[in-house]
Amino acid sequence: MTSTSPHEQSGDFVAEAVARHQAALLRYAGRLLGDHDRARDIVQDTFVKLMAQTPASVAGHEAEWLFTVCRHRALDILRKEGRMNHFEEGETERLRAPDPRPGEELEKEETRATLLELIDRLPARQQELIRLKFQNGFSYKEISRITALSVSNVGFLIHTAVTRLRREFAAAPR
Amino acid sequence: MNEQTPVLSPDDPRLTAYALGELADADFAAVDAAVRNDPALQAVVAEIQALGGELTATLANEPVSVELLATAEVAEGIAHSQGGTARDPASSADGGEFDAPKRGKLLRFPGLYYVFATAAAAGFAIMVVNHSSRNFPAAAKEERHYVQMTSRDERADGGAAAPAATAPAPEVASTAAFSLRGSAESVAKAVPPALLTKAERERVGLASFGLPVNVAADLAAETYRHTPETRFVATMEQPLSTFSVDVDTASYSNVRRFLTDGRLPPADAVRIEELLNYFPYAYAPPPATSPSTSSAAETPPFAAHLEVAASPWAPEHRLVRVALKGREVSAQARGAASLVFLLDVSGSMDAPNKLPLVKESLRMLLGRLRDDDRVAIVTYAGNSGLALPSTPVRRRAEILEALEKLEPAGSTHGSMGIQLAYDIAKTNPAASPGLTRVILCTDGDFNVGATSEGELVRLIEDKARSGVFLTVLGFGMGNYKDGTLEQLADKGNGMYGYVDTRREAEKLLVEQLSGTLVTIAKDVKIQVEFNPAQVARYRLIGYENRRLENPDFANDAVDAGEIGAGHSVTALYEVVPASAADVGEDAGPVPSLKYMKPAERREDPLISRELLTVGVRYKDPTGDVSRKLEFPLVDGGKLFEQASPDFQFAAAVAGFGMVLRDSPFRGSATYATVNAWAARGAASDPSGYRAEFVDLVRRAQQVVR
Repeated sequence: MTSTSPHEQSGDFVAEAVARHQAALLRYAGRLLGDHDRARDIVQDTFVKLMAQTPASVAGHEAEWLFTVCRHRALDILRKEGRMNHFEEGETERLRAPDPRPGEELEKEETRATLLELIDRLPARQQELIRLKFQNGFSYKEISRITALSVSNVGFLIHTAVTRLRREFAAAPR
Repeated sequence: MNEQTPVLSPDDPRLTAYALGELADADFAAVDAAVRNDPALQAVVAEIQALGGELTATLANEPVSVELLATAEVAEGIAHSQGGTARDPASSADGGEFDAPKRGKLLRFPGLYYVFATAAAAGFAIMVVNHSSRNFPAAAKEERHYVQMTSRDERADGGAAAPAATAPAPEVASTAAFSLRGSAESVAKAVPPALLTKAERERVGLASFGLPVNVAADLAAETYRHTPETRFVATMEQPLSTFSVDVDTASYSNVRRFLTDGRLPPADAVRIEELLNYFPYAYAPPPATSPSTSSAAETPPFAAHLEVAASPWAPEHRLVRVALKGREVSAQARGAASLVFLLDVSGSMDAPNKLPLVKESLRMLLGRLRDDDRVAIVTYAGNSGLALPSTPVRRRAEILEALEKLEPAGSTHGSMGIQLAYDIAKTNPAASPGLTRVILCTDGDFNVGATSEGELVRLIEDKARSGVFLTVLGFGMGNYKDGTLEQLADKGNGMYGYVDTRREAEKLLVEQLSGTLVTIAKDVKIQVEFNPAQVARYRLIGYENRRLENPDFANDAVDAGEIGAGHSVTALYEVVPASAADVGEDAGPVPSLKYMKPAERREDPLISRELLTVGVRYKDPTGDVSRKLEFPLVDGGKLFEQASPDFQFAAAVAGFGMVLRDSPFRGSATYATVNAWAARGAASDPSGYRAEFVDLVRRAQQVVR
């Protein structure tokens, strides 16, 4: 049994995690930091930290673990640079690089552009929660652990955001 | 209307959680039952799910603005951090795996949400889902399967769903929606809604989500809750009148603001009891007792001052004043306080009479606090935050600096700030109970977060049980939400004031400081029993939103108003004596009783001479059991002119309120007569407030013309 060496095992497991989660983590970190290079750095750091874990210790909540660590790293950086308020309303707008995708029906395209615009107008924290919920598919409980908000806080923030989106989306010219 | 239908507001966050599959067990059962019974809720659920699907689909395709790392790069970083272990054969084998680049659209879809998107896109009514879901116990798994995909249409999780773009078959949709909504057991165990009492449903609601949210639709308008005026009540029919004391004064400052601007206030902004209680009266406090003596517990914390004379606006009626005066407590006598200022620094506070006035008020207050008092500042605007951790007042410079730094920005998120402020207060309690207090300064414009008045009130009510008291100070104008703030203070064991000028800040925060800080009695209720032999009808003036059901008087579970040190409470009853000819348009229908003779009299001649008996119930600030006091009143037949100056002035204030409200009970009251009635009372005016009142009446007169 040559494959039981801890290095090999953790390497396998990290490689899988990288393949599975790095895109989502980069997107998340990019949103938090507003800086692509730093986002890459902290995502890399996050995976490095994962190396130190035994697969068993994160089994079943790997994604949640990665997002939590990634968020802490991002907040550390923001705090250090005193730009906690950097992550403000509208700030994330400029992060959205235009990326036209061919092949989609125009209508759907417009609907989505509208919705993205509406999302970008939400307060930063609500944006973060909406993305964790609908982009990353975390449950309220998982989001609560990642963001250190209470589950009911998560619940009402998402509710607030959804209510507002629902209203604005219905009213949006399409 | 089916009485077994559980009630659920469409603004309840649980509904969103339910639609998104985040509820389980009792919550799930309660919401599920409510949704089943209400087609409107079903529509909301379908809408939320549709939006959820749209969000999932949209966000899945959101451009990734950060370029993906080459996997090799990650491996390199890891290898580097491990100090050369990359040369280890095992590692380089892994590296080889990394070399297969997974660049491009490496999107991670939680399978479940993909399914969910399709279900929601099809817009299925929840009823369908409910019925079919019972047949799919196998689908009841909360576990998520993360599916790695290289393109949107490749699926790897057993074909549980169709691609988002196409409409799914009904069975697929119901399975998917069901698996989102909790376990099969939770459905099986679901408590029938009829078995849940309203209180239980509320408790369940509170336990999981304190705060449903209602985004204020109208940001520009001031709102006042409509309160119809109390009418005359026949003593034979209802000999008891019960209300909670109210020492709020906000309505007066607000009315003053309107009149100073040359406008008449809307009728619902005029709360007569708040007008009455704005003014200091020369009531004697109860005999002082040192808090160290054991007799303190025995001495009532307040004295009662009853008076009766002819009503100036209807001389055939009697006017009864019921007043309580609280014990005075000096700053030295009270313990060190722990205050948490919860400051609204949202964009709407960016006006000279808002945030700058808040800052000035706090600076004034700081000058009067003791060195060992503690102050914390919590702000809310978009993201709520702690601007100043709990700091002793002796470090004034730090507090002032934190105060200076506050800038208005963002939208208001009241509920989050409230949560945080109470958390800080609870972790920094004052030495003696009752001195831990959250002081909320806002224009009340909660336009983000929990704005549904009822839900916000419920949160506050819940927090009040933790022993933290609440003072609410309203600032500014324009989008001032008066009713919300009054309710918050009410339910939060606290007081509510409206600050429109520096002078008002001084009155509330400096002159009445000890009263604002030290609550000497809580849940103070007054119940007046009228003697039918003397009183044919009576009417409580004002206190419309403070009225209690008669049985609530003795029910200690029912919350009521607080009295602060040195505060006084004044209430007026207009009474139609039994001797007076009982005609007149305000009389209303005379009840014809079958079993009781209308003229039934008490035999005891001593008691029958009494007009009424005032019962007062109160609890100590930290107590849970109420005490009761009784004060009888005999009518000496005084004319209005023979009444005390305080009585006359209070009658004038009530008359002014009735004229402003255009009350049907105003009788002969006009601005001119009000001014005449106030004259004698205004003559004794040490603080100058009464002269201002006279001036205000004159202004009102000019507005009308």
